[in-house]
Amino acid sequence: MCVAMPGKVLAVHGTIATVDFNGNTVEAQAGLVSIKPGDYVLVHAGCILQVLTKEDSDMLTELFEEIENI
Amino acid sequence: MIDYKKYLMEYDGPSVRLMEVCGTHTAQISHCGIPSMLSPQIQLISGPGCPVCVTVTSYIDRLVELCMEPGTVVVTFGDMLRVTGSSQSLNDAKAAGGQVQMVYSPMDTLKLAAADKTKTFVFAAVGFETTTPIYAMLLNEATQNDITNIKILTSLKTMPPVINWVCEKQGGIDGFLAPGHVSVITGSNIFNELSDRYQIPFAVAGFEGEQILTAIYALVRRQGKAGVMNLYPSAVTAQGNETAQRAVEKYFMPCDAAWRGMGVIADSGMMLREEYRMFDAGSANLNADHGAHSGCRCAQVLTGALKPTECPLFGTGCTPQSPQGACMVSAEGSCYNYFVNKRKR
Amino acid sequence: MKITMAHGSGGKATSELIAGIFAKHFDNPVLARMEDSAVVPGAATIAMTTDSFVVTPLFFAGGDIGRLSVCGTVNDLAMSGATPKYLTCGFILEEGADTEELEKIVASMAQTAAEASVTIVAGDTKVVEGKGGIYINTSGVGFLPNGGIVSSANCAEGDVVLLSGNLGDHHAAILSARMSISNTIVSDCAPLNGIVSALLKDNVKVKAMRDVTRGGLATVLNEFASASQCCISLCEDHIPVSDQVRGFCGILGLDPLYMGNEGKMVAVVAKEDAQKALQCMQGSQYGENAAVIGEVISGEAGTLLLKTDIGGIRILTELYGEGLPRIC
Repeated sequence: MCVAMPGKVLAVHGTIATVDFNGNTVEAQAGLVSIKPGDYVLVHAGCILQVLTKEDSDMLTELFEEIENI
Repeated sequence: MIDYKKYLMEYDGPSVRLMEVCGTHTAQISHCGIPSMLSPQIQLISGPGCPVCVTVTSYIDRLVELCMEPGTVVVTFGDMLRVTGSSQSLNDAKAAGGQVQMVYSPMDTLKLAAADKTKTFVFAAVGFETTTPIYAMLLNEATQNDITNIKILTSLKTMPPVINWVCEKQGGIDGFLAPGHVSVITGSNIFNELSDRYQIPFAVAGFEGEQILTAIYALVRRQGKAGVMNLYPSAVTAQGNETAQRAVEKYFMPCDAAWRGMGVIADSGMMLREEYRMFDAGSANLNADHGAHSGCRCAQVLTGALKPTECPLFGTGCTPQSPQGACMVSAEGSCYNYFVNKRKR
Repeated sequence: MKITMAHGSGGKATSELIAGIFAKHFDNPVLARMEDSAVVPGAATIAMTTDSFVVTPLFFAGGDIGRLSVCGTVNDLAMSGATPKYLTCGFILEEGADTEELEKIVASMAQTAAEASVTIVAGDTKVVEGKGGIYINTSGVGFLPNGGIVSSANCAEGDVVLLSGNLGDHHAAILSARMSISNTIVSDCAPLNGIVSALLKDNVKVKAMRDVTRGGLATVLNEFASASQCCISLCEDHIPVSDQVRGFCGILGLDPLYMGNEGKMVAVVAKEDAQKALQCMQGSQYGENAAVIGEVISGEAGTLLLKTDIGGIRILTELYGEGLPRIC
């Protein structure tokens, strides 16, 4: 049940956000996260689940160092 | 940076069995051709990660009953349409005059209900923790906008109890690919206890091919040791989306739930709280599961006990054109994925 | 004005409809004779085909049922290597169909026929009870110059597979309207005889050709692999899909390899002609995004393989089921 895609918030009106996916716009429910235009968000079945942060590369590097040292 | 692709192709350590418990991971693994990139010592097992597949037949039967009632419209995601209950699917019922409407989002039900106040719109609310918050939003919006002709029929499930079931009743799994979008909502911490109890590593993975491969790499390297590794930090945090969790807690409470192939697992489902039962379309006690075909092995396939190719009906009596069980109907079902990609492993 | 049963009765209402809409737009000397059959010059070997069109909505971004009905049949003829020449069209109109819409559809057919250099030489109209639907059947005849026929059974090891452009546009355009997803995706509905004619004129050794309609690229190439008993390998990286269609597919969980197109074709050509074939396609209208997407290799007969973006190998089967958008 996890088909979800990252898109960019274009506008917010109340609890609805207009989200763009490479030129496709969808009106998505925004009640579960606080968002602003310009945010990248994960949308699942018409609802925004999370704001995406830039992939935490430091955290991943640390994690892989830990794995290599096992 | 380690060449993890090379490592995985050439791995000749102890045999490792890794389970994914997310239908979208199963589909992506097939889609990206990942099995072809792993040494034979690494086996991928599809677990109970497809919410449509684990839904019991009595739930479908209730939906069929509802859609045949004059004045009731069943609203649903696409995948549910072709799953057969004890005799019929929603598509069969639709052909016989039942009222069924497919939508992209549960929120679309609001528009439908507002446009026709003479009918009751019942949403087939299946899903794991990723989707449950959306049903909470639906009920929120319905309440706030005074829309009284919406109900839901719930078959909501949670992941930790079923993962526990697999480890306890079956075992033989050396690592779990933790469901990425479930974890967005719940946080990666929910797997800590399971990892410690069974001393099995968990890797929270995203859905790009590279992300799944690095998660498999991490699990192979960490075999035999507990630990939950978050390899999807752009979307998943340790605590998850607390607003979503609170929304779910407002409307739903844990309950026992029936899983195809596993029977009733304690506290593995969610149901509407008493004060919101006016939204319920008869979800209680839908536990019976009677597959239409006696040769169907969906039950064992879902828990990873059998590979899809080991089911006697696979590819002969059961194909996507004429599916006998849910695993072949859903685009995220293990059997469907093995069949359309001619997977052998 | 609405279509009524009288329009189908063969009397005054029928002839007014024919004169007012069909003859007006399909105006040509053969049709003007209004005989029981069209008598036209022929050829030693001809290709024939028929297809029916039942799409809804009747009008969509980038096209309409009329344009589809001409392109569909023209393309089927072109895919056999034939030069499309004549089309017939039969209409089944449900009571309540709108004559203004019908006229727009017919005008579109006339325009598309002119673009494809085919003449609509015969037609028929029936009216049935219903809710205003419009269905069209077109049959077509094409000339095969020297009888040399391309066939899906001709593919051999070493041959190269070309695709004439972006996948998924038509399917996405139709679905977008139904799923309330806004975008600027338009149907790619187009006649492909220009591309085919460029390939043949330049003496490209074409082994097999097919337009990529329902079932998508994966289904068509499976047909080739099976008919030729060969193994075809594709490179995911090389298959052209627009960013917008990719985004659309991502939202709904669709796979462009299985989506319908109405203006795209695959051609399997001899290896030494691959570059020439690519240039012919890219230099033709509707072929601007053409690409080499794979080759016929030695491998399990009747198999289609895909080398994925991340370096894996996936076996592609033909389309099973309806390809409903999934959420699960």
